Amino acid sequence: MDKFIEVINLTYSYRPGNGNEVKALNGINMKVFKGEFLAVTGQNGSGKSTLARHFNGLLKPRSGNVLVGGFSILDKNRLAEIRKMIGMVFQNPDNQLVSSIVEEDVAFGPENLGLPPETIRSRVGWALETLNIENLRRESPNNLSEGQKQLVAIAGVLAMKPECIVLDEPTTHLDPRSRRELLEIIIRLNREEGITIILLTHFMKEVVFCDRMIVMDLGEIKISGTPHEVFEKTTEIVRLGLDFPVATQLAAGLRGKGLKLPGNIITTEELIAQLCLLK
Amino acid sequence: MSIRTEKLTHIYMPGTPFAAKALHDVTFELQKGQVALLIGPSGSGKSTLIQHLNGLLKPTSGQVYFDDQSIEGSKDRLLKLRRKIGLVFQLPEEQFFSETVYDEVAFAPRNLGLAEEKIRDSVYDALNLVGLVAEEIKDRHPFNLSSGQKRLVAIAAVLSLKPEVLILDEPTAGLDPAGRRNLFNLLAGFNQKEGMTIIIATHHFDEAVALANHVLVLKQGKLLLNGSRDEVFARREDLEKLGLALPSVTELMQDLAAEGLPVRTDLYTIKEAREEINKMKEKQQ
Repeated sequence: MDKFIEVINLTYSYRPGNGNEVKALNGINMKVFKGEFLAVTGQNGSGKSTLARHFNGLLKPRSGNVLVGGFSILDKNRLAEIRKMIGMVFQNPDNQLVSSIVEEDVAFGPENLGLPPETIRSRVGWALETLNIENLRRESPNNLSEGQKQLVAIAGVLAMKPECIVLDEPTTHLDPRSRRELLEIIIRLNREEGITIILLTHFMKEVVFCDRMIVMDLGEIKISGTPHEVFEKTTEIVRLGLDFPVATQLAAGLRGKGLKLPGNIITTEELIAQLCLLK
Repeated sequence: MSIRTEKLTHIYMPGTPFAAKALHDVTFELQKGQVALLIGPSGSGKSTLIQHLNGLLKPTSGQVYFDDQSIEGSKDRLLKLRRKIGLVFQLPEEQFFSETVYDEVAFAPRNLGLAEEKIRDSVYDALNLVGLVAEEIKDRHPFNLSSGQKRLVAIAAVLSLKPEVLILDEPTAGLDPAGRRNLFNLLAGFNQKEGMTIIIATHHFDEAVALANHVLVLKQGKLLLNGSRDEVFARREDLEKLGLALPSVTELMQDLAAEGLPVRTDLYTIKEAREEINKMKEKQQ
C-alpha cells in the first residue's frame, strides 16, 4: 500500500520553556497507508489527540515533521492543500456546526475551497445522500439529536472530498443506536469510497473493525498491529490501562477453565461460532 | 426513605411557539440503596428529569417527593434537599472555577457557612472518598490534573455535602477504560458501604449495568420501561425499537441462547457469563 501520512521523529510539548512543560509526544515515527482504517487508542493524556492535530497541521511539531501526501505540514504554502486532503471530526458536534440550516453547514467547507456553485450543490447533495440524511437538508442543527448533528458534521467534512477523515472520539456523546450507525457509516466510507479513516477511541467495541491499530502511552506508540495481533499482547494491554473486547475477556476466562478456544477471538461473532463448534 | 416522582411533566418555553414537552407524566419510585440506570436515546429527557430530582428545574405539573415530602415549598427546604441529593453534571470539570483543588471542593461547604475546620474535614473526607490523597492534591490547580483526576475532584465537590442520593449524568464521558473502572468501583463502594442511592444517566451502560438493580427507560419524555434490571433487559426487541441496545454481555448470552445453547441470559458481567458457560459445558460432558 502507498503511504499517505508519514510521521517522522515527531515531538511536541505544551507550555514549553516555563517550567510547566508537558511533553505530549516523544519521538513518534509512524505511517498511515492510503485506504486503511486505522484506530488509535490509549489512556487519557497518552497523546492521541495531540498526534491527530498534527495530521492537518492544527499543531506544529516542536521537532520532527509530518508529511501528508508528500507535503510537509511545516510548508505554509501547502497547508491549504493538506487541509483539503484531511478532514477532522471532533468529539462534540456542537463545536463544529456553524450555520443555522443543515445544507448551508455542509456547504461551508466546499464554499471555502472556492468551488463553483454547481459543484458545491452537487457535493452537498452527494454528502447528504451518502450519509442517509437527505431528509435533514432544511433542518436547523439545533433541532437535531446528537447523533444527527455528528452526521451533519461528517457530511460537512465529506463534502470537501477528503482523502482521509480523522475522527476524535466521535461517539462519546451518542446513544447506542447512533453509535452503531456512525460506525457502520465509517466502515462504508472506508470500504466503498476508499477514504482513509483514522479513528481515535476509548471503546474496544469500535476498535475491532479496523485494519490496524496503534496503542499510545505517555506520548509514544507502544503497540501496533491488527486488532487480532494487538489483543493477544495481554500483559502489555493490561499494563497500558486498556480494556479488551468483551468476547476476548470472556474467551480468556473460559480458556483458563480448560475450554479449548483459540487465542485470537475479538468479536462476539467469533466467540459464538467457536462455542457452537464445541457443542 | 425514597425518591419518587408523580406525573412529572415539564414543558420548555410554555406558551410560546417554541413550547416543547420534555417530560410527560413521569412516575417512578426508588428506595434507599437502589442503583438505577436512566437510559434513553439522545433528547429523550434524561437530563431534564435529573434536574427535577434536586429541584434545579420546576415541574410544569406533577411532583417530586423525597422522603414523602414534596420538594417544592420554602426556599429553606429546597436548600436542605439539595444537600441530600447531589448532582454531578455532564463533563463537570468544565465548570471548575477555583485556583486549587481544595477551594473547588470547599465551595459548597463554605456556602453553608460552616466553620473553616469543619470545611477542611469535609474537603478531606470527600477527596479521600474518591480515592485521592488530600494532602498531595489539595494545593494543585484543578486544570493541571489528568482527565480522570478532574472528574474525581468534580465528584468530590458534590460529595463534600455528604448527600444521601447521588445522581450522575454521563459520568464516564471521555474517560479511558482504567478511569471508567475506577469510577464504577468507587460508586459500588458508596452504594454498599454508605447505602447511597445512585442514579446514573448514561448511553454507555456496559459497565454501569453491573451495579444497577433498576432501570428507567425514557423516550421522547415518556417513561416507557420502569422495572428491575432483569425485567427491562429481557425486552430486547422493545429496546432496539427505542434505539437502545442491550449490555454487551447480555446481548452475547442472548445470541448464544438463540444459537440453541442452553444458557441463562439475565447476566451482565464477564464473570457471570464465564461461570454460566462453564456450567453448561460441564453438564454436556
